[in-house]
Amino acid sequence: MTNHKILLVDDDQNLLEMLFSIFKRAGYTNLLTAASGAQALRVWRDEQPNLIVLDVMMPDMDGFAVLKEIRRTSRVPVLMLTARGEAEDRIEGLEIGADDYLAKPFLPKELLLRVGAILSRAYPEQNKTVELAGATVDMTNAEVWKHGEKQTLTAKEMQLFEKLYQNAGRIVTTGILCETICGEFWQGYESTLSTHIRHLREKIEENPSKPVSLVTVKGLGYRLNLKEVSP
Amino acid sequence: MNAVQRFFRRYIISTIGIVVLFLAVNIVLFFAILILGSMSGSDAVFSVETFSDHVSRQDGTWRADDVARSMLEEHDAWAMLLNEEGDVIWQQDLPENLPRSYTSAEVASFSRWYLEDYPVKVWTRPDGKLMVVGFPPEALVKFYYAVEQPYLGALLTGGVAVFFINLFLIVFLILRNTRNVEKAMTPILQGIQNLSHGKAEHLAEQGELAEINAGLNRAADYMRQKDNTRAEWIRGVSHDIRTPLSMVLGYASELEDDGNLPPDARKQAGIIRRESEKMKRLIDDLNLTTKLEYALQPVHFQDMDWVETSRQAVSEVLNSGLDSRYEIVFAEMQPGRSLHLLGDDGLLRRMLDNLIRNSITHNPHGCRISVSVGEEKGHCLCIVSDDGIGIEPERLKVLNRGDDITSTQGSDEKNEHGLGLKLVMQIVKAHRGTVSFSDSTPHGLEVRISLPTQPLIS
Repeated sequence: MTNHKILLVDDDQNLLEMLFSIFKRAGYTNLLTAASGAQALRVWRDEQPNLIVLDVMMPDMDGFAVLKEIRRTSRVPVLMLTARGEAEDRIEGLEIGADDYLAKPFLPKELLLRVGAILSRAYPEQNKTVELAGATVDMTNAEVWKHGEKQTLTAKEMQLFEKLYQNAGRIVTTGILCETICGEFWQGYESTLSTHIRHLREKIEENPSKPVSLVTVKGLGYRLNLKEVSP
Repeated sequence: MNAVQRFFRRYIISTIGIVVLFLAVNIVLFFAILILGSMSGSDAVFSVETFSDHVSRQDGTWRADDVARSMLEEHDAWAMLLNEEGDVIWQQDLPENLPRSYTSAEVASFSRWYLEDYPVKVWTRPDGKLMVVGFPPEALVKFYYAVEQPYLGALLTGGVAVFFINLFLIVFLILRNTRNVEKAMTPILQGIQNLSHGKAEHLAEQGELAEINAGLNRAADYMRQKDNTRAEWIRGVSHDIRTPLSMVLGYASELEDDGNLPPDARKQAGIIRRESEKMKRLIDDLNLTTKLEYALQPVHFQDMDWVETSRQAVSEVLNSGLDSRYEIVFAEMQPGRSLHLLGDDGLLRRMLDNLIRNSITHNPHGCRISVSVGEEKGHCLCIVSDDGIGIEPERLKVLNRGDDITSTQGSDEKNEHGLGLKLVMQIVKAHRGTVSFSDSTPHGLEVRISLPTQPLIS
């Protein structure tokens, strides 16, 4: 994850420096910067980054125009940063083909979380495994290893697990999980969801009746807790 | 609108009152004149019968006594007595030029009209003689009127009909005129009322009052322009603050997480980060409240699941890392039931977020916040209550009155909640719902929000 090549674009030199510092501290080593729209396009053509963090408001060529130019030939993930935050801007950015949109001022954690989510969607890791308290999940092969025994996850269980993993440590609501497995018209599928959750728990939990990894948040939804890594 | 309607209704009633008063005064005056006229005539009406009683035949000659003579003198009149043949058998002061004998045709004529120019009164005595009293010309007016029965009937009915037609015409014309004035004035009065409520609507610049409409339109344009300028200014300022605030927030976060720094420094960086987050919320609130107030932000109504929206709003607060002093409980009033609502998902989530954060900021020592959602009488309900310190009764009253919350009063911490709650009220209003604030038992604040499921229809 950390060796992805990331291009940071902002006309404000100070902010650019801060972005650089945030990503560097988070462990990203391959960082590129550009202080204008034109420069951003040049660097993108020359370096072909894996992801671009793009400011909307720039004097020479705004972020929307840069994104349009990029989208003519490339599907490289782009996260837009804006000082406006209006709903229309958000919609315009997403319509042109931005992968995500973040309004200034933002928390570095939130920026890193979103970039991480985009990267893991766009570049699924080979042989990626997730360590849980009672089991290890092999994301690539949809397999769970518990006490040395292998179990396979069904497609729906895998979809659920991926959604929960992308939001690990955060509550994911019943509605969002239902939508993940049933699509837009998910109403009435809550019982189906709880069946899938029960099956998933049987595979990943040490004691499915007392879950520690995939916990219920009463009335709201579920949360996936990753295994605590001792520093 | 009601005030305008009331005004015109009162105007019509008062005009009809005036017409009725006018008629009543006229009837009273008419009778008064009749009575006064009858009283202003000669005090003693000359009675030929009485006069005739004072004229008698004594010793073969006719003579009048003193009473009769003084009656004649008083009225400057003359008298004559005719026998059955029409000859004058007695006279008193009879003018020389008048004949001394009359045919029956002449008697018939003068008893109805005049004798020469003298108005006369006649009386047939019991003995068959005719007493004639003549008055000076122009002392009496005599007229004779004879109509046929059906004609009189038609005349009377016609008179009544003319009276009522006149009355009807007057009332009809008054009503029509008033209606015309009302039609011309209502849009103008409505426009003024709208302006006073801050709504600027364009009036058609037509008709006789086009100039006034144009004036109102200019005022509305001016107001709109001012509002836009203010909104633009707020937008500009908040935009300019966003980038520097990003730096403060970013670096404070970095320092807070920097394990190489002494704990005190990291704690201070944490304070800077938290305060910056408050500022970020404040800017977002300010921007949104301005846009809602000046209707710059359209409300995107779409079919949404009320329970799921509330779940997401609560989850967002929990996911953003809530201090352990606070606990949030989410409950469905009708578990398992999905509630559909036409609303703006983003705005409603913002509303719930603001309510929860209001309880958090109001209770720095921690509290338990309960969010319940459900349905009641076709409305989607949401009750956010806490067991915190609650709110002063006075402020509760102000909030329930729905007055505009000014975010500049005082300089204490309450200011920012002011803006947050103002936004809640604006969002509820945009969805045509209601919001009420009350004390929760045993202590704390309870906010109850009720939203119509079809805000565009109701």
